Amino acid sequence: MSNLEKYQKIFMDLFQVEKEELNESFSFAGEERWDSVTHLSLIAELEDTFGIMFETDDILNYGSYLNGINILKKYGVEF
Amino acid sequence: MFLDIDKKDPKRIAAVEDTGKQITYGELCDLSNEIVEAIPERSIIFCLCENTIGALSGYIGCLSHKIVPLLLAANTDQELLVKLIETYEPQFFWCPEEKELPLQTEMIIQKAGYKLVKTEYKQYEINEKLSLLLTTSGSTGSPKLVRYKYGNLEANAKNVAKVFGWTEMERPVIDLPMQYTMGLNVINTHLYVGATLIMTTQNLVSRDFWNYIEEQKATNFTGVPFSYEVFFKLRFNKKEFPTLTTLAEGGGKLTDTMFMDLVEYSQKYNKRFCATFGTTETSARLAYLDPDRAKEKCGSIGKAIPEGELFLIDKNGQEIQEMEAEGEMGYRGPNVTMGYGICKEDLKLGDVWKGEYRTGDIARRDSEGFYYIIGRISRFLKIYGHRISLDQCEKLIKTKFAIDCACTGNDKCLKIFITEEQYSKDILKYLSEKLHLMQNVMKISVIEAIPRNESGKIKYAVLNKMEL
Repeated sequence: MSNLEKYQKIFMDLFQVEKEELNESFSFAGEERWDSVTHLSLIAELEDTFGIMFETDDILNYGSYLNGINILKKYGVEF
Repeated sequence: MFLDIDKKDPKRIAAVEDTGKQITYGELCDLSNEIVEAIPERSIIFCLCENTIGALSGYIGCLSHKIVPLLLAANTDQELLVKLIETYEPQFFWCPEEKELPLQTEMIIQKAGYKLVKTEYKQYEINEKLSLLLTTSGSTGSPKLVRYKYGNLEANAKNVAKVFGWTEMERPVIDLPMQYTMGLNVINTHLYVGATLIMTTQNLVSRDFWNYIEEQKATNFTGVPFSYEVFFKLRFNKKEFPTLTTLAEGGGKLTDTMFMDLVEYSQKYNKRFCATFGTTETSARLAYLDPDRAKEKCGSIGKAIPEGELFLIDKNGQEIQEMEAEGEMGYRGPNVTMGYGICKEDLKLGDVWKGEYRTGDIARRDSEGFYYIIGRISRFLKIYGHRISLDQCEKLIKTKFAIDCACTGNDKCLKIFITEEQYSKDILKYLSEKLHLMQNVMKISVIEAIPRNESGKIKYAVLNKMEL
């Protein structure tokens, strides 16, 4: 599985959405199911899957599906 | 008025909001009185809460004028809200201005971003002692309520403020929802001493939340175990938060590791870490662990708060006299509420518990009288601070899918056993919506048959041994 596929699968499992729904509008603000509990699970899941450890600011700024990809790139995850 | 808030310094700030708005004690008294002016005494009102000055003022107005509020989250599941409305026939609603209600209403007044509306329901007889209603298992969609009497909140505010040593200089973060017993407790204990509430609707995992509590120079923070998971995940144990002097915990059990991490953090930065224990049925807190003993009493909930008494009950229902013992935990004190209600007629009932409540937890008492929660008698899980009734979960599944099932689990995971595989996905989806739980804390397992004894009772012990 490519990194993008892994990344998409985490979102699809956690938020129970189809791949098509994961776009630029999929964000903390726009998604009712994306609350603090889900956010923490998402962070933990991403850290486990990609073997990284986020900085505080990146956890707090991890506001959307797309922005997340840019954050992950900072930690050397290639897409 | 409620908690004598009209006797505090009227110029002192009672609450600030993350919108920048603030209100003095004097203004809070005026606003609270004005909101409820048109409401007859002994009316039932649903307050749809968010942590704002509007919600706070309506609550104080009701408690000060013998009006009985049911506090609910502003974003309460619509289906549950309808069920509660049909069950309890509220005559009024106090809710955010933009909220659309599922019934006919007439506008009375708009204040502080909230509106007071009247419904078409007629007032009915309720018990004279009844002061407040809270949900107990709101997260599992049950309309079961806890009935408070006058004096419960007042006594608890006084005794909890005393044990914490709160003064009017405190600036508590009000992040736990006010309709949740522990959140309400933080509000009441601080209003009691005339302190300044730092109210927020921000999410714990947002930058704004942490900026706000720093800007507002918050002095104490109360969290459920999940709040501290966030705290550590954000690596804030490396950050000082210089104005913050007290970290309190309640609403569920911390792991021993987290407990000791908090002890260590507090020692390093010269703060107090106060573990507490409470239930909705006892107006929140009933026990408190002296922060100076936290290191040697890891995992303990401490001892009863002033005017209260904790005790243990053996299998025969007798109170255990020996100091070192294990048993079901019970509590006596002025903060024990009157009992439950499941229908409108129950609101006529008087005090059923008469100052004594069994929590359903199994506890251990050590040689010095410190209590530790070690398990639970009743079939409840506490996942991320949500109380999940396993019986209610089974009922939800059975009602919706008309299939046999059994639910069990621990505070990390809800385990569901079914016999027909084709429903697995739908059940997970349905429960996750109804319980506001994520699917990764639920596990479903398809088995041949649900194990039962001769009288038809499910053998949960057998299920608990099965690996999922």
